Amino acid sequence: MATKSAKVRWSAINLAVVFFALTPVLWIVSLSFKHPSTFTDGKFIPKRWTLNNYFNIFRDGGFGRPLLNSICIGIISTVVAIVLGVFAAYAIARLRFPGRRWMLGAALLIAMFPQVSLVTPLFQIERSMALFNTWPGLILPYVTFALPLTIYTLSAFFREIPWELEKAAKMDGATPFQAFRHVIVPLAAPGVVTAGILAFIQCWNDFLFAISLTSSDSARTAPAAISFFTGASQFENPVGSIAAAAVVITIPIVIFVLMFQNRIVSGLTSGAVKG
Amino acid sequence: MRSATWSRSPRRGLRALVVGTALAMAGPLMVACGSNSSQVVINLYNGPQENMATIVNRCNDLAHGAYRIRLNQLPRAADGQREQLVRRLAAGDSGLDVMDMDITWVAELAEAGWIREWTGQNKQQAEQDTLAKPLKSAQWNDKLYAVPYNSNVQLLWYRSDLVQSPPKTWDELINASDALAKQGKPHYAEVTGAQYEGLVVWFNALVTSAGDSITSDNGKKVALNDKALQALDVMKRFANSKAADPSLSNTQEQEANLAFQGGGAAFQLNWPFVYAATRDANPELLKKLRWAPYPGINGPGESPLGGAVFAIGKYSKHPKEAFQAALCLRDPGSQKIAAVKDGLPPTIRSVYDDPEVKAAYPMRDAILAALSTAGERPRTPFYQNVSTTVSTVLSPPSSIKPRQTLDRLRSEVTDALNSKGVLP
Amino acid sequence: MSHVASTADGAAPPRHKAGRRRSKPARAVTEGTRAERRLGWLLCAPAALVMLVVAGWPIIYSVLLSFQRYDLRFPDARGWIGLDNYATVLANRYWWTSFGVTTVIMVISVAIELVLGMALAMVMHRTLAARGLLRTVVLIPYGIVTVVAAYGWKYAWTPGTGWLARFLSNDSAPLTHQIPSLAIIILAEVWKTTPFMALLLLAGLALVPDELHRAAEMDGANRWQRFVKVTLPLMKPAIVVALLFRALDAFRIYDNIYILTNGAQSTGSVSIQTYHNLIGGLNLGIGSTLSVLIFLSVAILAFIFIKIFGAAAPGSEPEETR
Repeated sequence: MATKSAKVRWSAINLAVVFFALTPVLWIVSLSFKHPSTFTDGKFIPKRWTLNNYFNIFRDGGFGRPLLNSICIGIISTVVAIVLGVFAAYAIARLRFPGRRWMLGAALLIAMFPQVSLVTPLFQIERSMALFNTWPGLILPYVTFALPLTIYTLSAFFREIPWELEKAAKMDGATPFQAFRHVIVPLAAPGVVTAGILAFIQCWNDFLFAISLTSSDSARTAPAAISFFTGASQFENPVGSIAAAAVVITIPIVIFVLMFQNRIVSGLTSGAVKG
Repeated sequence: MRSATWSRSPRRGLRALVVGTALAMAGPLMVACGSNSSQVVINLYNGPQENMATIVNRCNDLAHGAYRIRLNQLPRAADGQREQLVRRLAAGDSGLDVMDMDITWVAELAEAGWIREWTGQNKQQAEQDTLAKPLKSAQWNDKLYAVPYNSNVQLLWYRSDLVQSPPKTWDELINASDALAKQGKPHYAEVTGAQYEGLVVWFNALVTSAGDSITSDNGKKVALNDKALQALDVMKRFANSKAADPSLSNTQEQEANLAFQGGGAAFQLNWPFVYAATRDANPELLKKLRWAPYPGINGPGESPLGGAVFAIGKYSKHPKEAFQAALCLRDPGSQKIAAVKDGLPPTIRSVYDDPEVKAAYPMRDAILAALSTAGERPRTPFYQNVSTTVSTVLSPPSSIKPRQTLDRLRSEVTDALNSKGVLP
Repeated sequence: MSHVASTADGAAPPRHKAGRRRSKPARAVTEGTRAERRLGWLLCAPAALVMLVVAGWPIIYSVLLSFQRYDLRFPDARGWIGLDNYATVLANRYWWTSFGVTTVIMVISVAIELVLGMALAMVMHRTLAARGLLRTVVLIPYGIVTVVAAYGWKYAWTPGTGWLARFLSNDSAPLTHQIPSLAIIILAEVWKTTPFMALLLLAGLALVPDELHRAAEMDGANRWQRFVKVTLPLMKPAIVVALLFRALDAFRIYDNIYILTNGAQSTGSVSIQTYHNLIGGLNLGIGSTLSVLIFLSVAILAFIFIKIFGAAAPGSEPEETR
């Protein structure tokens, strides 16, 4: 049904969107390839190219381990936050029980309270429980602060799913859990994928907890590791290395989103509703 | 057909969760094993320094097994370093043995009781052949709380192709810039005028050059009498003159150097790292790079003093070895490596006479001269408060009104020294 | 909130009215209600437990600290002083400046992001070319570490170093004056977080069935009318979540300002001020007070949102009939 002119129009719009989204990114990529001597030339495309920045961050900057930490901690935190969030959101959206409002209010409270003042008490708690500078020591706060977003997003989606579907499934002999898993979850997939992507990016990019609750490479994540890069002197920011690290950090996000993006809109049109 | 859909399916999700958590727990265990020796381990926390590992290895060799220094990283930015150290010290962390600190933190950490005092033999060794001003900056309440590691002073850097004789006062600097501007040549004088510690450093240098100081000697009251008016006046005139880069209020040390390298500036007031940086990035410019003493108000000025010291954590489990380790990490051999390879000026006088150091520091005499007259920043446990307050009040330098700004500074710095009020 | 669903036998769809309560019988609660309650608590328990254990004590501790005088360097001088901290902060002009700046940044950036995000969501939903690639590209700005993106913007706007600064006159340094700096900060914020809005709005868009659009088209509605009368109302829950969380986050902006201007020329936000007092000044009393005040401001904002959007907000009564 797509006419040629429609396709051309959409391609033009796409191009504009891509330009707006990617030009500053390409600037950062260009900074990562620039030779330090040409840094101040103000050109978008580097006059002198160098791959040293990329080699340096792994060789001297020891970026490998923080990258691994980021990937694992990010995935685990996202999975846990989604699982817990799905359960809670389902209950909040579909069931009636005292404390529903409190649950939502508590989630919102946690999302609203400035994290900078929670860091020090959290630090002291983790120290006393020997969780400081460990993976669980970061996973627990990440899950906690991703839950409000996942709960709210998922409950907004669960509310939209009509009751008849569950009733129909139950009449066919399914237990509530099976009804949930085979009917509700696929329909809530857009919400789950959306919440998952947002939660993952939130954990991935966190800086405050990563820098305050770790003290060595055992648990330090990539964004925090960037602030440990050595410049040529104490006054110089190694901008090339920072830009290279940023590019490297962004690649897993791109892969993650590419894998899941088509599930964002497989909604009610997927056929479960039609007779 | 339909009932088949509802057969039980394995709880895959739950399994993944368990595996994931197990992995998470295993992570730190994999790190924990492998370093179990009965040797005393001294944890050194140092900001990023390219050749620190060399120095640490040297000291480990010299220790002959009495202890082993382990190098831990601190963030690159000074504020981040202080945050990490203070948070852990306040919690009584015993994992901090030797810490590399900025000189402005000494009073604060000493007053809070988080670093140990240097006494007896350790103190004697620390003081031996150490330059006077850096040594003073490691003291608080007449006691020694840290051992000086490296020092830093600012110089006036200029281009010999644009400037024949360097200005000695700020007024001369402004006039020289004006003259260059009239000829259409590069004329900016780069200074760290952004709203951060660098602005306080600049202001402090002007104030001490005028013969005044920001706080009294014991750091309990604000000083800033009418002599400081001259300093404020100079700042304002400079910021409104042709010498000031339009980006002045967004310029930190690196931007100042980059602007100078980019060719738009004839002068810059900066630390000696610019020499090595220019040598690496712009060898052409290096041939025209010259230096001169820091300009003053009515004559030669007092250069601002920077530097780092090593302090021993209060809760360290091995203080004796920690003191020894710190002394080694800053002994002449170590300071020579830091000076030649990392561009950190030494604090021990004899190191300056080493031929390799002389070769790496053609400006060595200027540095030594500046170090003997350098102006200290206020020594008070509330230095962070004072710094935040002063940099806010003075920013942007072009809108300073000397009399009003002085009154405002006096009242707000007094509040800062008493930890009253809210910082901006 | 009505929802059209066709059932197998083609009967007229039941209409669900939100907020309609079932009348409670005067007798004891039924077995079904009890089971429902139990299930509800059971499902909420893990999330509630995690949130309580990790964030519960730190929040309480912060609030308690706001009623004390406590400088970390002088633990002996610690003591309760009631509401004195609050009086000090609320009488301090730096607080009101940063509060004003933060509010301005938040309002403008969220407004822009809502419009842009909606447009972006429509493009991502309907585009006929390279859909998957487009959606991924759109999310990249959100995926980049904020601090690095801010460095990118800073260098882009610095005269001499940057590609954007070349479009300005030689004498202007936008990051040294308040209004241009705020504009750049807002630009950096909008660029970074519009994808967040767009993603949530896209998922909301996907819930609007095509039949409704076609039905409205057949009834003679043009594109704009279809958008306003069909799409927007059905997207309300997604809009609420997106707006709410974006506004809450925008109010606590820190990274972009820290890198771009470090709060110079009165461009500092309340978060930067909190940082200066809590971590710089080690004044836990004042720092916690600032945090509580930020929290209260944000809570009032959330309250207003929920009141405006009423039944569309998550947390209102679940749909009728079981």
